[in-house]
Amino acid sequence: MNVIETSELGKRYRRRWALRDCTLTIPGGHLVALVGPNGAGKTTLLTMAVGLTRPSAGALTVLGSEPPGSPEALDHIGFVAQDAPLYRNLPVRDMLHVARNLNRRWDQGRAEDRLKQLDIPLSQKVGELSGGQKAQLALTIALARRPALLVLDEPLAALDPVAREDFLASVVAAAEDGGISVVLSSHVLAELERVASYLVVLTRGQVRVSGPVRELIATHGAGLEEIALRHLRAGVPSSSRTEAGQ
Amino acid sequence: MTAGTIAPGAGRAIGRRPVPWSKLAWVTLRQRRGLLIGGGVLLGVFAVYMVVMAVIQHNAYAAVAACHPAAALRCQQLNNSFYRSYWGGGAGPVIAGGGAQTVSSLLFAIPVLLGAFAGAPLLARELESGTFRFAWTQGAGRTRWALSTLVLPAVLLVAATGAFTAIFYWYFWPFLADNQVSEMLPLAFALLGVAFAAWTLLAYSLAAFLGTLLRRTLPAMAVTLVAYIVLAMATALAIRPHYATPVTVAGWNDNSAWVMNQWVKAPDGQVLSQSALNNLSQHLPASVQNSPSPDAFTNWLTQHGYTLWQSIQPNSRFWQFQLTEGAWLLVVSALLIAATVWLVRRREA
Repeated sequence: MNVIETSELGKRYRRRWALRDCTLTIPGGHLVALVGPNGAGKTTLLTMAVGLTRPSAGALTVLGSEPPGSPEALDHIGFVAQDAPLYRNLPVRDMLHVARNLNRRWDQGRAEDRLKQLDIPLSQKVGELSGGQKAQLALTIALARRPALLVLDEPLAALDPVAREDFLASVVAAAEDGGISVVLSSHVLAELERVASYLVVLTRGQVRVSGPVRELIATHGAGLEEIALRHLRAGVPSSSRTEAGQ
Repeated sequence: MTAGTIAPGAGRAIGRRPVPWSKLAWVTLRQRRGLLIGGGVLLGVFAVYMVVMAVIQHNAYAAVAACHPAAALRCQQLNNSFYRSYWGGGAGPVIAGGGAQTVSSLLFAIPVLLGAFAGAPLLARELESGTFRFAWTQGAGRTRWALSTLVLPAVLLVAATGAFTAIFYWYFWPFLADNQVSEMLPLAFALLGVAFAAWTLLAYSLAAFLGTLLRRTLPAMAVTLVAYIVLAMATALAIRPHYATPVTVAGWNDNSAWVMNQWVKAPDGQVLSQSALNNLSQHLPASVQNSPSPDAFTNWLTQHGYTLWQSIQPNSRFWQFQLTEGAWLLVVSALLIAATVWLVRRREA
């Protein structure tokens, strides 16, 4: 089953195309790194996949053949938006309760166990958590929904190096334990190199490369970072090269 | 995918029962807890004050009601003094403040305050802080979430303000009992019957709609305040008088009605213009001009063959007017809430 499948997908904001002619198939069972510089269209692609935004052109299905935003799709996709938005005024316990009451599928024990392991107290207010704790809480909530697909938009951007390591380890563990497909976007590839099993490179609203990491390495005869960099360069005119992923 | 994965198709096999409303209601109530407490305290403070004043006024009025015969000068003076102290204010006990007239004007602001504070942040806060990206990607879906978010506080507001109206009736009763004050007067009308709750609902729906449209809490509150004042004034001055054709009656001394217009007819049946009336009042005999009685001029007019007329909305039309106003306010509020849900459904992240 393909977790995300797009065909000539496009999204236009006023006059600018944030994403254009994007034809992409992401099979299930992978930890997918969606990589590209800022403004490449990663967030646009992901928000369309979770049903927050509608395409301007082309087609997009998730989890086989579900239209994004449909009840089935909402039920089985855990999404953590950029900066992990949660209700800051609520204590962690009530934040969990809110999420529990907004979902048909919920594993309270799993959520509480995770928070206990992470030393995140249930009585603490969400707004008082550190960036790393908040990201972990958002991940915990997404996982407690027992999703088939976990979509994480730039989850590492706001975290310090230690929190990044911990967060990635959590994602990898969840993917391996639960057999969850994960799509994770980032403008930094370095940390994802060790964990990603599928790579999609996006620049200037278009897909430059897409495929299982093992195959890409075999065909290109280079490391993942080298492959990505090569494609990132190919998609960016030299004048704006400095903006591209470093 | 490994065997541990729950395939999306599995959900379909069990049949899809949406997230129950009771769970969504919990979420809405938890998120609006501050508002519920704040609104409750605001109404509670006013309620306590009005209950205390109602007891004082009822005691003072008991003496007026017990005075016999009611037409005796002594009883008239008692009645006037009660009215001056508690309706007009100033002459009464300190706690009466500016009197019921002033308190009623203050209460005018409650529907728009409650409505704007409750309604504006509902969607605007989510859009400002980005939490809508969380709320709208949960299993319940954004439409059910929006309905719960919008409708539950609306029901609670209507219930609370409706209950508050009952206290207001009690507080207001001594003035209404003697027809000292007509319940059709805009000041009283907006606080009695269904109007208080209906105007609160309107302010709330307007604020929620504007909050979603403007995506900002404070601008939504400000625009709600301005739009509400304009609409409330326009309703009292221009819309409400047309719910029914006014009745024309002879005489100027009917307190049991909302007076739309007054005029004088000359002995030949001609309606006197304002300038003609002013002219007449300046050429009265000195005994009338210097009389302390406010009725001296009108008494003189009737003695000299002039007739006094007024067009009124009688008190008997109170419920007809209340239900007319309540109905259109309810329809407009429902449309605003429906438009808000529509905006949520088509809103792009």
